[in-house]
Amino acid sequence: MIAGYLDGLGMVLQFGTLLAIAGGTLLGIIMGALPGLTSAMAVALLLPVTFGMPPVMGIGMMLGALCGAGASGSIPAILLNIPGTPSSVATTFDGFPMAQKGEAGRALGLSIVASFFGGVASMVILSLLAPPIADFALRFGAAEYFSLSVFGLVIIASVAGKSLLKGLIAGLLGFFVSTIGTDPITGVDRFTFGELSLLTGINLLPALIGLFAVSQVLKDAFEYDPNQRLKDSGHRIDVARPRFMETLRNWRALLAGILSGSVVGPVPGAGGSIASLVAYDQTRRFSKHPEKFGTGHAPGIVSVESANNALLGGALIPTLALGIPGEAATAVLLGGLMIQGVTPGPMLFDDQSGIVYGIFLAYLVANIFMLLIMCLGIKLFIRVLMVPRKQLLSAILVLCFIGVYGVDGDVFNLYLMLGFGILGYFLNRYDFGTAPVILGLILGPIAESNLRRGLQAFEGDWTPFFTRPISLTFLVIAVGLLALTLWQNYRTRRVPATSSEKGE
Amino acid sequence: MQRDIGKPLFDLLLVVASAAAFAVSMTLPNIEIVGDLSPAFFPMLISALVFLFAVPCLIKDFREWQAAGTDGERTGAPRGVAQWLLIVALALVYILIFERLGYIVSTAIFVFACVVGLLLTGGTWRELTNARRAKSLAGAAVFAAVLAVVIFYVFTELFEIPLPG
Repeated sequence: MIAGYLDGLGMVLQFGTLLAIAGGTLLGIIMGALPGLTSAMAVALLLPVTFGMPPVMGIGMMLGALCGAGASGSIPAILLNIPGTPSSVATTFDGFPMAQKGEAGRALGLSIVASFFGGVASMVILSLLAPPIADFALRFGAAEYFSLSVFGLVIIASVAGKSLLKGLIAGLLGFFVSTIGTDPITGVDRFTFGELSLLTGINLLPALIGLFAVSQVLKDAFEYDPNQRLKDSGHRIDVARPRFMETLRNWRALLAGILSGSVVGPVPGAGGSIASLVAYDQTRRFSKHPEKFGTGHAPGIVSVESANNALLGGALIPTLALGIPGEAATAVLLGGLMIQGVTPGPMLFDDQSGIVYGIFLAYLVANIFMLLIMCLGIKLFIRVLMVPRKQLLSAILVLCFIGVYGVDGDVFNLYLMLGFGILGYFLNRYDFGTAPVILGLILGPIAESNLRRGLQAFEGDWTPFFTRPISLTFLVIAVGLLALTLWQNYRTRRVPATSSEKGE
Repeated sequence: MQRDIGKPLFDLLLVVASAAAFAVSMTLPNIEIVGDLSPAFFPMLISALVFLFAVPCLIKDFREWQAAGTDGERTGAPRGVAQWLLIVALALVYILIFERLGYIVSTAIFVFACVVGLLLTGGTWRELTNARRAKSLAGAAVFAAVLAVVIFYVFTELFEIPLPG
C-alpha cells in the first residue's frame, strides 16, 4: 500500500497534473455555481480535453470538477436562495437566512470549510474501504460479473427514475445501444446498417456528452426566459474567509454530514440531495436548539455542505472497486475512466495500484484547490452568475461539438451526440432519467460477454449463475430490490386511493 | 392539473421502436458455437423487455392524460418550443457546415445565429429600439468571433486537438 501511495504521489505531484486538477476544480466551481448546470455536465465537457492526458492527470481533472461543483452549488444557494445543484437545496434553509442577516461571508466561509472537511474525510474512507472491497471482488468469475452487472443495472434503474418501469426501460435502452457494432464473439455485425463508424460500436464520448450536456442545453433552451434575470444579491463579499474554528466547533453537524454522505454515497442512485437532507435532518433532530434551524444557524450549513462533498468519496467506492457508479456524475466519471483506458474494478487495484492511489491523492489535492479557489475567487464566481444565458448556452454547445469532433475527427459522432442529446432531453422530461442509459451502455457489454463466456465455460449450463454463492447473492438482492420498489409503488398508489375513499 | 400528450406519445414511440428492433434482431445471422448464445439473443431479449415495460407505461400515461381533463395541454409554451427547435436546427446546420466552412467560420456563424435567434424567438427583439438592436447585433458578432478564435487556439495550441482550419 505504501509503495502504491508513493507511486501515486509521484504521479500527482507533477506541475501538469496539479495544473489540470486546479483547472478542473475551477471549471467545476463555475458550473456548480450556475443553476441548471450540473456536475455531470462539467465532467462530460472535460472528457475530450482529458483524452490525451496520462490517466491520473485526466482523472484528477475530472475529480476536481466534481469536487468544485459539489462545493460551489452553495454560492447561489446562500446569496440568491437558488440552489446551484440539487444537493444544495438544503443549503438554502440556513445559508440564505444567514446572508439576509448580513453574514453572507460567514455562511460562505462555513460552507467552504465544511465542504473541504467532508471531501477530505470521504477520501480517507474511500482509501480505507475501496481496496478490501476490490480484494474481495478478485474472487469474481464470469458468473459473478454477469450477476454484478445485472445488479448494478437493476439497482440504479429502480432508484434513478420516478418510476421503476421507466428506469428499467432507460437502462435497457442503454443496454440495447451497447449491442450495436460487431459482436465480439462471433464477429457478426449488429445494427450497423453499413455505417463504418458503427462497426466498433457506439462511441461512449458522444453518448455521454449528448445525454448529460446537450440534453441539459436543450432543456435550458426550452425554459429560457429573457425577462428572467438573476438579480444582484446585494451582498458585497471580496473574500470568503475560511471559518475553520467555527466549523470545528460544530463537530457534531460535521460528523453527521460526513457519515450521511459516506453512507448514502455508495448506494447507487441515491444522490446528493438525499445525503444532504438526511444530514440536515439528523443534525436538527439531535440538536439542543432545533428551533434555530432555518433561521441562519451554522450547524445547518455545516452538516449539509460536508455531506455534499463526503458523498463523492462514498460514491467512488463502488465505482472504483466494482465498476458500479453511485450516481449520474460518477457514471460519467466511470465512462471517462474507460475512455482513459482505465477499467474500474478489482483488477485495477491489482494491476495498476499506482493509478488507484494516485486517484485517491488527486481527490485530496482537488479538495485543497477547491478550498483555495473558492476562498480567493468568490467575487469572480458571484459575477459568473450574471453571465447571460443565451451566450452561455451557445458556448457550451460549441464546447460539446469541438470536444466530440476533436477526439477522432468523425462527423458521424456529432450526429450521434445530437441524437443522444434529443433522446436525453425527452428521457428526462418524461421521467425516465439518463443515468440508467449510461449504466446500460457501460454494464451491458460486461453482462453480455460474461454471460456468454460463462455459458461457453459451463458448456451451456445456466445453473452455476444461480448456484455460485456470490452470483446468487447479487441476483437475490437485485430481485429483492425490484420487489421492494414494486411494493413501495403499490403502497404509494393505495394510500391516496384509500384516503380519497374515506373523504367521500 | 395540466396534461401532457407528449408522455403517452413518447411511450407509444418506445412500443413501436422496440417492436421494430425485435423484428430487425430476428434477421441477425445465427452462428453456432458450443454453449454460446446467438448474437441476436440479447437484442431480442432487450427489445422484448422494453416492449413489455413500455405497454403498461403507455396505458398508465394515457389514462393520466385522459383523467387530467381539459385544463390545458402542457405542450410547453410556444416560445419554449420555438427556442428548442431553433437550437436543434442550428446544431444540425452547424454539423453540416462544420468541415465545409472550417471550424472558425462555422462556429462564429453558429454562435451568432444562436444568440440572435434566442433574441428573436424570446421576444426581446421586438421590445428593442433600432439603436439597441444594432448594439445587440454588434455584441453578438463580437462574442461569436472572440469565442470561436479563443476556443480554436485553446484546443489546437494548448490541448493539441486538431480542428478543421
